[in-house]
Amino acid sequence: MTDATERTVTSRWLNRDRVSVLLIALGCVALLLGGSLLYPGFLKPGYILQQLQIAAFLGIIATGAMLVILLGEIDLSVPWTITGTAIVVISASGSSNPLIANLAIPLGLCLGIAVGLLNAIGVAVFRVPAMVWTLAVNAMLLGAAVFYTGNSRPNGEVPWLATLAATGRTFGIPNAFLVWLVVAAITIWVLKRTVYGNYLYALGNSRRAVFLAGARVRLVIVATFVLAGVFSSFGAILLLGYTNQAYQGMGDPYLMPVISAVVIGGTSIQGGRGNYIGTFAGAIFITLLSSILSVMQMPPAAREMIFGAIILVMLLVHGLTNKKEGI
Amino acid sequence: MADRYVELKSVSKSYGGVPALTAVDFRCEPGRVHAILGENGAGKSTLMKLLAGVIQPDAGTISIGGQTVRFSSPREAAEQGTVCMFQELSLMPHLSVGDNIVLAAPRTRMGMIERSVYREAREALDLVGAKSIPLGARVSGLSLSERQLVEIAKAVFRKPKLLILDEATSALTSELVETVFGVLRMLKEQGVAILFISHRMHEVDAIADRISVFRNGRHIETFDVGARTTDEIVGLMIGRSLEELFPPRRAPVPDTAPVVLNVSNVSWAGQLVDVSLAARAGEIVGLGGLDAQGQQQIMHAVFGVLRGVTGRITLNGRRLNGLRPPRVKQSDIGLALVPEDRKTEGLIPSMSVAQNMRLAVLGRAPFGLLDLDGSSEARLQELIERLALSYGSLDDPIATLSGGNQQKVVLAKWLVLSPKCLLLMDPTRGIDLPTKAQIYRLLTDLAAEGMAVILQSTDYEELIHLCDRVYVFYRGSVAKELTGDHLSADALIAASMNVHLHAGGQA
Repeated sequence: MTDATERTVTSRWLNRDRVSVLLIALGCVALLLGGSLLYPGFLKPGYILQQLQIAAFLGIIATGAMLVILLGEIDLSVPWTITGTAIVVISASGSSNPLIANLAIPLGLCLGIAVGLLNAIGVAVFRVPAMVWTLAVNAMLLGAAVFYTGNSRPNGEVPWLATLAATGRTFGIPNAFLVWLVVAAITIWVLKRTVYGNYLYALGNSRRAVFLAGARVRLVIVATFVLAGVFSSFGAILLLGYTNQAYQGMGDPYLMPVISAVVIGGTSIQGGRGNYIGTFAGAIFITLLSSILSVMQMPPAAREMIFGAIILVMLLVHGLTNKKEGI
Repeated sequence: MADRYVELKSVSKSYGGVPALTAVDFRCEPGRVHAILGENGAGKSTLMKLLAGVIQPDAGTISIGGQTVRFSSPREAAEQGTVCMFQELSLMPHLSVGDNIVLAAPRTRMGMIERSVYREAREALDLVGAKSIPLGARVSGLSLSERQLVEIAKAVFRKPKLLILDEATSALTSELVETVFGVLRMLKEQGVAILFISHRMHEVDAIADRISVFRNGRHIETFDVGARTTDEIVGLMIGRSLEELFPPRRAPVPDTAPVVLNVSNVSWAGQLVDVSLAARAGEIVGLGGLDAQGQQQIMHAVFGVLRGVTGRITLNGRRLNGLRPPRVKQSDIGLALVPEDRKTEGLIPSMSVAQNMRLAVLGRAPFGLLDLDGSSEARLQELIERLALSYGSLDDPIATLSGGNQQKVVLAKWLVLSPKCLLLMDPTRGIDLPTKAQIYRLLTDLAAEGMAVILQSTDYEELIHLCDRVYVFYRGSVAKELTGDHLSADALIAASMNVHLHAGGQA
């Protein structure tokens, strides 16, 4: 009997979320140690800080993706929301009209809001599966971007604020990482302590039960997609500051890593389960993995295959644990 | 064939150290209906799962016709002719009725399903009295009781030798139950052994030949039907009498009591036709009738789930038409709805007890932040005590609680909002007797405190013993209103089938 009690106490402490975070943290350490065998520089603080800086871009975009996945939906419009935002910001900032130039960053965020609203309308009002609708929105954004730039690299200027936030350092720590920490703290608080966060988890589990509990289901869905759009745009602006240029397809390599980071972090792809610390660690893990693969001179195509495989393996692992819990 | 009895010898089974069955000896014979009675947690479901091959015993043997068997999967049990209908409906909602039945035991020729089996599926449906359900209908479009009939047809289609019904009649109205019993009697004649689990005593009396009572994982006693009175049986199960199930009759609510809910001339999409009803403060008003005659829809119409409702719905004089659930639950209106299907509508099974309890109160939190002053937490704690909720930890998934305790959580979720009018849709379905008694007492207390309670139920006893007035629905409108002495089982059944009145209208 005491044995059984002890077992339940341990299992309660070692719930799935915590196990996921623990595993992924161990994974990061393993990557660093493994990488240091190839290149001794991997364990130097300089390298680690640089990786945290790069992880911040991925992590901020993954924040939005995580919210949508918690809802039980998916946002496939991430790549061209990123590219579109970068094009809008760089063009506006390079405008001869000083008003437009100063409003470049808010304009970029507005694009994210607009895309989010468009996604939300399709999912919440017309009830089209998000996978199809957001993919179509992504294609439309691609078309619009190509049409606008005439298939050449957009000209303009990168706002100084974006550059400062993306590449600057405060007390030696990359600003981008600090920004990400703030985003993380706010996200955790929102998920745990606000009505929105609680209904988000509940909706991911059972839409009908939440509706019959008198929750504003549509409002939560709309808010989630809008937030996802804003996070994509926010990440894009930082990315713009980091790369100092906008180009066609700059968002393309982000879709798989973003979803991988969320899923590796233990968020259930069916929605309703997961925590932000997992996503945080997941983004760092993906960044480290990506860095090691490029150090190993793995071609980008092979990297995509590896990310895809990671998602599949994680889905299988979670599918198996779900079965064991009988849910 | 005649000696194909099923026998369990000193079978034990425990889950993680907690015994579910202890040294059970049990025997059931072909051509008899054997009822299993017991409270939730008495071991009935464990027994069924053992026989169906879902789980294996820790100790003891199971034998069929003297041959010891050991099923490692439900499939092996099915090959031996054991067919099981569990409490949870197991139909695939997006497939047709015919496909659902046929896929239960597909007979194929070179990988293709034989067409002729659909004819057999039709026969199985006709047999269980579901003549009106077309084979091509989608399961998702059927009402809960129609689905349960399909489920029974599916079991009949598989030509069982041992048929296990676990609360299989719980969503059916008495009329349909009678049809199903006809099928069971016919199967019995054919030499099928039937195990029947139900919480409804009169159903057990009507169909069973023998009764076995289980308590705390032990087989207490087996006897022929009629050998013991209902009171004695209940005594064996729980150790208390039937009179204690329902609280004593309350004094009638005076006509001067204010009308809380007033529904007049409400119609909706042909499923509700000109419905008018009212509930006063302190009243428990019942909604009865055969299944899917509009009782469920009127509840949804009042709660704002349906769009395009015509007519007038008011609560304490406020017009509710067009208002949606997030609005009507606010304290100035004060409506609450306990939905029909606990597992998919009332609760989120994978989330914790605490999270489920907060689901409704969340929307009222100031500034969208959770409970700054902890007042609703305190009220929830009060309710947990008032409802005598038994749970391990508030952080455990709600799925770990028994059905009765789950329903208490659904009630707590709404009562924390202190509603003025409580709508309940079949709240005691599949719940054990002691918890039923607690819920009945709670409803009586709430009415005494001035709440208007609307109780839609498929259980006639509930409507008769608990309600002040009952509106009987027929084809989307109120066929009859029964009060006081007119409120009897016979009157309810007559009104349900609309014996006196002309059909309520075609829409």
